[in-house]
This record gives sequence, structure tokens and C-alpha cells, in this order.
Amino acid sequence: MKYNKAYGFIFLTPVVLAVGIIYMMIFWNLVASLTQWQGMKATWQFAGLQNYFDLISLRRFWVNVKNNFLWLFFFIIPTTLLGFILAYLFTNLGRIEKVFRQFFLYPMALAFIVTGTLWSWMYDPSSGLINSLLRAVGFDTTRLGWIANPNGAIFCMIFSAFWQYVGFSLVIYLGAIRGLSYSMIEAANIDGAGHIRILFQIIFPNVGHGTLICTTMLAITTMKVFDLVWIMTGGGPGIKTEVLPYMMYRITYSQHNIGMGASTSIVILILAAAMVIPYSLWALKKWVRE
Amino acid sequence: MKDTRFKISSIAILVILAALWLMPVYAMLNTSIKTQEEVANQEYLRFPRKFAIQNYLKAFKALKTGLINSAVITIPATFLCVFLGSMAGYFLTMFEFKPSQLIFFWIVVASFLPYQIVLIPITQLISSLRLLNTYAGLILIYVILNIPISTLITATFFMKMPVALQEAAALDGCKPFTFYIKILVPVSIPGLISAAILVFVQIYNEFLLAISLTRGPKIKPVMPILAELKGSQIAQWNIQMAGAVIVSLFPLAIFIFLSEYFISGMMAGYGKE
Repeated sequence: MKYNKAYGFIFLTPVVLAVGIIYMMIFWNLVASLTQWQGMKATWQFAGLQNYFDLISLRRFWVNVKNNFLWLFFFIIPTTLLGFILAYLFTNLGRIEKVFRQFFLYPMALAFIVTGTLWSWMYDPSSGLINSLLRAVGFDTTRLGWIANPNGAIFCMIFSAFWQYVGFSLVIYLGAIRGLSYSMIEAANIDGAGHIRILFQIIFPNVGHGTLICTTMLAITTMKVFDLVWIMTGGGPGIKTEVLPYMMYRITYSQHNIGMGASTSIVILILAAAMVIPYSLWALKKWVRE
Repeated sequence: MKDTRFKISSIAILVILAALWLMPVYAMLNTSIKTQEEVANQEYLRFPRKFAIQNYLKAFKALKTGLINSAVITIPATFLCVFLGSMAGYFLTMFEFKPSQLIFFWIVVASFLPYQIVLIPITQLISSLRLLNTYAGLILIYVILNIPISTLITATFFMKMPVALQEAAALDGCKPFTFYIKILVPVSIPGLISAAILVFVQIYNEFLLAISLTRGPKIKPVMPILAELKGSQIAQWNIQMAGAVIVSLFPLAIFIFLSEYFISGMMAGYGKE
């Protein structure tokens, strides 16, 4: 027996209000993106898709899109892969697993602003930790600019996020691997399969839901790296490390081009929704089945 | 035995990697207690010869207002999110209500969207309510944006409650609200703590809205202040690192002492486990 719904609407009201406001704001944003709104005062002059045409004619926009895809590719794959391999190695640890897990997971508690401050120092060409260590062992570091190198900066930034998020994929895969039956791995072991084969041909195909959770969550994270860009490079050198969420902020608050800022956020919405909606449908199914 | 060899080598790999993962924070702590002269030597991994506690005093002086502001904003916002979110989680998991699934779907989607998507309307909303640069404005917006995730996490925990518990209570004539307060909340304290930790850390670490909805140092939370410290001339690496340590103390303490809750909140919120 379950309670009748009539009792309970009061329980639901706050969250429905909050979610309703969020979706109304998204709709409002969509309308704003179709207007010629410049400067602080709202001018609801309809401009059709003009902002979107202006946006896609900007070279800066495409640099940003490219950078977002660099993030997707070079952040998600290494983070997922290392987390997965670590989780497999962790199965040997026995009781000290919980202690070891902390060493990889603690960066998840740090703010992007803290990670960014820390890694800005690590990467600093003249007084940073990495170059100072390299110099100490006799390397010539004059050409290693790291975060100041126009072509390398974005990868440096991605690496710091990788450092922060490996623990996340580790934990996801620890859970997924624990759910597998031991006999399956044991049987493969007896058959004489090597560890790499066990890892990729036997375990990997059976932790698909872990991989889905991991890659989706990391993909969504790449849409939130605004803080890291802000603190580490400010989008520079030039616009080499800018990503769409950063450009959106700049267009809106530095150039006061609200209409175009709104249309950039709609582009972000489309990219994010393409990841979030299929994932949520999947999660919901799993939720209902239980 | 082949197995023993694998075991030993994997432990060796893990030890090396763990050392690499800890090194940045070791260097950060180390540098944060060094004098300026010693920092200039750049031997960052070497243990300091002299402790420069004044770095922390300087950094704390710069961050103090920010820390207070963050506490004033984050604590009530977290409490409201968990309270209101858990009520919704209760309704969605324990009541017979057809559209529950649909509502749940929209909650899940809302909880994952990046804030940039609603940044402009948020600024408009808060300024039209005359709440720009106020505690109330930030609390309001953080509650709106974090209720969905807190609903999600608490709902995941409530689903594990035996239905019999509620049936028995209902037969005894227990009203829903009494059931929620007297039975459900006490037995799901771990779930509520997990939700609270996730929401707390998320709000405390938030940056975009913190810079967009505040002007000047009076209301500004600590993250933007730390970011400004990096840009200012006075802050050398040692002061910056001291500031980063101070700002991270609270989330790291939560992570270390309540790590089971931290992880289970993360899994329930992001992992759908």
C-alpha cells in the first residue's frame, strides 16, 4: 500500500518550482537569443536568427568549438582509460584498497579554482615546479613553455583536469568490476589469457554501464571548465585555450552583447542536451527497473 | 607463481602513481610554509628550513571576508536544498503518482546542465528582484540550481527503504509528514549527509555565479577572492599556495573524515548506482 498522492503535493512543490524556473529561464534565454539586445538595458527587438549567423561567421567561435572537441577527446579517453586500468590493478590490493583510493580521489574535493592555481604554478615556465625539477636533473627548459606555449597550453590545462578526475572514473570502475563474477575472470586466468587480454576482452565488455556513466559525466564536465580557463590562462595565449562557456561569458559581460551571448549559451545547451538527455533516459530506465 | 608477480608489480605501479598524484599537493603545502627567499631557490620538494607561518596570516587576511561570506551563503543553501530536495525525493519514491517518472526525468536533466545556459536569465532575475550583490540572491539561486541534484540523491537512498516500513506506519495511522519527519529522516541520515556533502562542496566550489552576481568584496564568496589573489602583484607563489590550502581545508576535511558519504553521494548523484 502506498500513500495517496493528494497528501503529498506539498512535498513536491519546491522542486517543481525550482525545476520550472530553470526551464523557464532556458526558454527566456532562447527568446533573448533571437533579439538584438546589446548593452545593459533589454531591447526586445526581434532579429530572427541573426545572432546565430553572426556567431557562426566568427572565426573565434570555430576555434572555441575545436577546443571543446579537443577537451572531449583528450580529457575523456585518458581519464576513463587510466581509471579503468587502475581499478583492475586495485583488485590486488585487498584491504588497503580504501586507503589507496583516497590518494587518487582527493583532488575531486578541490575547486577548479584551486586546481587551476596549483597547476598554474606547476606549469610556470620560469618559476614553476615542473621546469624547476627538469632543470635540477639537467634539462634545458628554455623551450618548454607549458601553459605559455600557444600550441601546448590547452593540453596542459586538460592534463590538470585529468589529474583531478581520474579518481572519479576509478571509483566508477571499482564499483562496476566488483559487480562482475569472479569465476569469469578466474576461468580466463586458467585458460592462460594475459592480463591485457583479460582486461580488454573480458572485463571491458562487461562494464559497459560504468563506461557510459564515466564518459557521459566527463563529457558534461568539459562543458563546465570555465573556472579552469579563467584562472589558468584567461583563454590565452590569444584565444588558444578558450572554450564555449568562457566565450559566452566574455561576449555577455565584457562585450555586453547579450543577444549573441544568449545564442552562444543555446549552442552550449544543444551540445549539453545531446549528452544529458540520452543519458537521463537510460538512467531513468535503470531506476525504474530496480 | 605468475599471480604473485602480477600482484607485486601492480602494487609497485600503484605506489608510484599515488606518489605522482600526491606530489602537487605535497609541493603546494611545502611551498606555502616557505619564506620568499627559499621559494626563490626553487627547490620546491625540499623540506623548508624555516617555517613562514606569516604566509598563512597574510593569505587569511585577504580571504577572511570571503570565507565568512561563503559560510553565510553555503550553509543555509545546503540545508534548504537537502530539506526541500528530500521531501521531493520522498514523494517521488513513495507515493503512487503517475507523472513521477516524467518529473524525475526533467529533474535529472536539469541537474546536469551547465550554468552558462541560464547565466543571463539568472542575472536578470536576480537584478529584477533587487538581489544583486546580496546573500539572499546567491542563496536563492544556489537553492534553485541544487534542489534537483539533492532530490536525485535522496530519492536514490529512499528507494532502498523497505516498502513494509511505510505500510506498517500507514496502518498505525501515521500521516505522511509525520512519517517523513519521525521515521524516514532518522533512518536515512546517511543518505541525507551524502546529499548535503555533495551540495555543500558544489556550492562552496562554485565560481561562475559567484563572480557574476556580486560586485566588490562585501558579499563575494571565497573562490573569486582566491582567483583575485592570483592576479594581484603582492601575492607570490607561497602566499597563493597558502591561500589555496586555506580555501581547500574544509572540503578536504570533509573528504578525509566523511569519505564514505562523499563517495556514496558522488555515486548516487553522478553515478546512478
